[in-house]
Order: sequence, then structure tokens, then C-alpha cells
Amino acid sequence: MTAPARSLPFPGAAPLRVVVGGARQAPRVGAWGLLAVVVLAAFFLLIYSRVSLDRSAFVLQEVHREMAAEEERYWRLRLTVAELQAPERIVAQAREMGLAYPAAVETIEVPGVGVSGRGAEDRWADLKALLGAQP
Amino acid sequence: MRPPSAVNGRRPRGLNARLVMVGVALILAWGGVGYRLVVVQGTRAEEYAARGREQRLHREILAAARGTIFDGEGRELALTVDSVTVYANPREVTDPQVEARYLASLTGQEPARIEELLTSEGTFVYVARQMDPADGARVRAAALPGIYTLDEPRRVYPAGWLTGQVVGFVQPDSNAGLEGLELYYDAALAGTPGRLEVERDPWGRTIPQGEFSVIPAEPGSDLVLTLRTSIQFAAVGALRSGLERTGARAGSVVVLDPRTGAVLAMANLPGFDPADRSSLLPEQVRNRAVTDLFEPGSTQKLITVAAALEAGLVTPGTVLEIPQRLQILDTVFEDFTEHTDRLTVTEIVAQSSNLGTILLGEMLGAQRLHEYMVAFGQGRQTRIDFPGEAPGVLRPPEDWCVTTCVAGTSIGYHVSVTALQMAVAYSVIANDGVWVRPHLVAEVVDGMGGRAPTAPPQKRVVSAETARQIRLMLAAVVDEGTGARAAVEGYRVGGKTGTTRKYLSESGEYSEEDVVASFIGMAPIDDPRVVVAVVLDSPREDASGGKGAAPVFAAVALAALHQLGVPPDAP
Repeated sequence: MTAPARSLPFPGAAPLRVVVGGARQAPRVGAWGLLAVVVLAAFFLLIYSRVSLDRSAFVLQEVHREMAAEEERYWRLRLTVAELQAPERIVAQAREMGLAYPAAVETIEVPGVGVSGRGAEDRWADLKALLGAQP
Repeated sequence: MRPPSAVNGRRPRGLNARLVMVGVALILAWGGVGYRLVVVQGTRAEEYAARGREQRLHREILAAARGTIFDGEGRELALTVDSVTVYANPREVTDPQVEARYLASLTGQEPARIEELLTSEGTFVYVARQMDPADGARVRAAALPGIYTLDEPRRVYPAGWLTGQVVGFVQPDSNAGLEGLELYYDAALAGTPGRLEVERDPWGRTIPQGEFSVIPAEPGSDLVLTLRTSIQFAAVGALRSGLERTGARAGSVVVLDPRTGAVLAMANLPGFDPADRSSLLPEQVRNRAVTDLFEPGSTQKLITVAAALEAGLVTPGTVLEIPQRLQILDTVFEDFTEHTDRLTVTEIVAQSSNLGTILLGEMLGAQRLHEYMVAFGQGRQTRIDFPGEAPGVLRPPEDWCVTTCVAGTSIGYHVSVTALQMAVAYSVIANDGVWVRPHLVAEVVDGMGGRAPTAPPQKRVVSAETARQIRLMLAAVVDEGTGARAAVEGYRVGGKTGTTRKYLSESGEYSEEDVVASFIGMAPIDDPRVVVAVVLDSPREDASGGKGAAPVFAAVALAALHQLGVPPDAP
């Protein structure tokens, strides 16, 4: 049964009516399900991101360890190079190989060498050729 | 029938009492729990949180990498590498014999010695200091009871004995400079330690996303020296040969670049290897060129003659009447080389005439002679960047005696100098009359690569013309005077010999046997690129500057000129 509509004292307002025993609406399962899925996904995403971060932190730690090891190796190599360059070692090796400092030094004078300007490169080439011909 | 416990609908009195007691007990217990909860979570919450945080938080001082010391040719003279120190807590060691045997195989020590350490009293003992990291890792992996390892930086000196006294060394525990440039530049080399704070779990692993803060360590600055290893090697070699040939007790060689004041070599013997300091004597550590004083003798004549020329009292060609012998009170001055009665100023220098130089000194007077000596750098430190430099001895002129002091000082007595001071004085002449402060460090390179080159102060002492005239006189010393053995094949060189009786501070007298033989010179003489000072302490053979020290000069000067690529200038 529908009560008669009463007009409200407001001009132009739609008249209200009371509905008794209207049809029952079905629950919105689809929307709630979607919300649950989104929340669940967000939850897993959060967990995944944190796990990823943790894993990255361990990887980073490992990289730092490797860096330290490589750096240590680098310094060791520098030390080795420095020890190999020691003049005392080189002289001892040279003596072992039969090398000796020349008793007399002969100075070769090439005209123009050491003078800058045009043709300097050619003059150096001449000098190199001259030196290359030496025993 | 009614149950016995509910007579007349009432509970027995005993049961009521027990219930009350249980109730009270429960209330008290819950009250206690509640109180504790309030305390833990409320009033003392911060304190407990901080305590927990402290347990997780690991604080670490990040050691700053000590700077490297390079020579002028880019070779490392001192650098820092990682090392592992092994220590033990003898109380935790379960089987000293077995552990000692294993450690001995890795450390190269005697098993008995290690066993002795492992059975000693106390809770801490070093087993091996600063081992190779690979060996240290093996010790760590063995996980022996009571044996622990510690990562430590180790300072190494690849050039060894070659530069020991100049570079110096550090204290092994703290890595702080103890001697030489390591001490002088300690603040720059050391850097600034950093700080790390990180949360760790009970197994020592870093807690990801835990608290983490780091203030990185600032690495120490590198030093680039003026020293050239190749020239240093030649200087040490020549000095060693000189010591073997003359039987001298000790010796020093200083090689300077007169234009810049750069020290190209500074060699002293006896020396030491910084890697082996187990039986080190003070005389081995000392940088004699900077710390040891001697009376310069005839090498001082350069200053007296330069002063007389600069003051306009004489010219190189001025002829002076020179006796062979002169007695002032009870002191007799004489020339050891026979000469004619009349000598030019150049001949006075070439023949190293004591009497001629004394005459020039007397012409100058005490005040003026003293002024020039100070200007040439005597009686004060050169302020080289090296610790423990001796200022020398030069008394103010008002303290000089009126009889023999001017005469004695003119020829290098009554004044004490270091080898470096004399090398710098000769550099004035080599550098056209300009004094330049000597220095060992060419530049300091900070951790970010910023370079701070050394800019040594300069000042004019004598005119370029006076310096040129003196250089010609010094060339005459080698060409036709007392320094013939200083001649270098292919180059025109100049220098001055010096032989002084050694002053014995214990007795306050001059030694009858011991002398100091020296030769200081420069090459090439027309445009000097190096100044070399050689000082031999108490030679037994060739006990004079001309015979003992001059050949050392020749060898060092030749090597230095070759290394610097200076073309020959002599026919």
C-alpha cells in the first residue's frame, strides 16, 4: 500500500513518498571481493618489497666485502711493483745478467736536436735512426 | 541428605578463607604483572629500549688510510697494506703444543717459542704481528681455541735502506709517525678516522633496514717528494764506496737542485732498513745531513771570498801579499800548499790559501763577515721540512774574541754547520746569488686529488755577477787546485775542498787523529743544475777533502747529471 504523496511546503520540490516492503537489494560481493584482492595484493607487494630490500642489503654487503678484497689486492700489487722497481734489485739482476756500466760515456751530438721549431720531428727521427744503428 | 560442604546453605569457613587468599594472591600477582608492565612499558620504557638498541648497535671507528709517500719519479717509498695480527688468550688455549705447532707452520716462528707464549700467564699475548692476510685467513679458518685475529694496517717501505733516514717510519700499533717525514708530515698523512654505526643480529650480521649511519674516514694526503730514487741510489752507492775506500766512520751526501731548493738526494751511512728495526742503533736512524754539526773548514772560504767581492773590497784579479805562515798570539795559521808571495783572489780560492782568506776576513771585519754568514744561512735552521734540524753554531760578533776569531771564522773554524746548510750556501752561488729554502716535499696531494705544491721562499744574498765570479773560482779549484779528483768526465764542475780537525766536545780540544773531510761543488759550472755536498767523518785513508770526499762528489754529480738529462758541456 502506498501512502498518498504529500506536497512539501517548498515550491518546486519533488513530492516524497513512503515505500513499504520494497524489493531487497542483492549484496555487492563483487566490490568487496575486489577490495579484498587489492588489500591482499598490497600486503604481498609490501612483503615482497621488504624481502627484496633485505636481499639487496645482503648483496650490497657482499659487494662491499668483495670491494675490500679487491682493494687489498690492488695495494698488494702496488707493493709488488714498487719492490720490483727497487734500483738495488734491478742492479743486482743486471749484474747477474752480465750487464755493466760503461767505463767511458760517448756523447753523440746531432745538429739541431733539442732545438724546437720547424722540422723538429724530422730531426728526432734522424736521431732515433742513428741510435737504432748503434750496437 | 545435604552435602557436608553446604550445611544450611553456607560454605564452610575454611573454604571462604582459602578463596579469599587465592583471590588476594591472584590480585597481587596480576597487580605485580601490571606494575611491571607499567614500569617496562611506561616509566622506564626509554631506558629498556635504549638498552636493547645498545645490544644491537655496533659502533666502529673507521681507520683512515695513511697517505702514500712517492719519490719525484712516482715510485712508492712508503705505503700501507692490510695485514692480520694473531693474538691469544692463554687461559682459553686447550692444547698449547698442537696449536703452537700449527701456528709455527703459518708464522715461520719456532714452535717452542709459540708454546711458551700460549702457556704464559695472563689473558692476552701477541703471537704474530702484521702477517700476510692470506696466512691470517688460514689462522682464522682454523678456529683454534683461544687464538684470535685482528685486522691491522701495515706500513711498508719498498725502497728499504735507501731512504730509511729520510722517510722515517711509524709506530706499529698506532701507525703514528715516529721518525723522518713520517713524523714531520704525520698530521697530513694520517687523515681523519670515520665512524660507523650499524644494527647487527646476535650472529654479527647486519640487520637489513636497521639503524645505519656512517661518517666516512677521510684518507690521509699523499706526499710527492723531491727525492729521486735513482739519484739517491747513486749517492748511497758512491758514499758506501767512499767509506770503504777511506775507512771513514760515517758520511753524508746531499744533492740539491739550486734553482728550486729541491733535495734530489740525501744519503747517510750507516743507515737502516725500516722493515727491520729489531736491533736499531740511534746513529743509524739519525739523518746526519740535517742533525750532525761539523766545522766547515776550507769550504767556508767561499762565503768569506763572496762577501769580500760583494762588499767591493776586492775583485777576482786583485793581487794580495800572502805570507806562508802567520802567528797571532799562540795560534799559528799556515798554508799547506807552497805558493808565491803574491796571489790573486782566484788563486787564493784555487789553492785554498788560509792566509789569503784570513786577510780577506780581516778586511771585512767581524760584523760584516757575520752578516754574510747569516745571509748564507749559517747559525740558523734552513727550515727544511724535516724534524730535528740542527741550527748550527754561530756566535754573535760581539762575542768574538779580538785576536783569532775573525781569522779562524774566515777559514771555517769557530762555526759549526750541517751538510745541508753548506749545500744551501753553495746553492746561493749556483743560483746566481739567490737563496732558496731547501725542501723534501714537492707537493701534498689530499684525498680528493687536490694538489698543494711547495713554494719555497727566496731571497737575494749576493749579486749574480759575484755568484758568477765565485763559480769561476770554484771551477779553478777543480781544474788546477786542490779539487782535481772532483772532475767529472764531459762536464765542467766547480767546488771546494775542506779538511778540518774534528772538535771533541768531551775534552774541548781538537783531535790529533780524526778529521772531517768534505767537498761541496756544483755542475755544470756555467749553469749549475746540481749542488752536491759530501762529508766524511774520520776517514783513515785519503783523509782530506780533496782525496777522500772529491771522488764521491764526482761519482754522485755524474749520476745526477745523467739522470736529469743534462747534456755534457766540456770538450
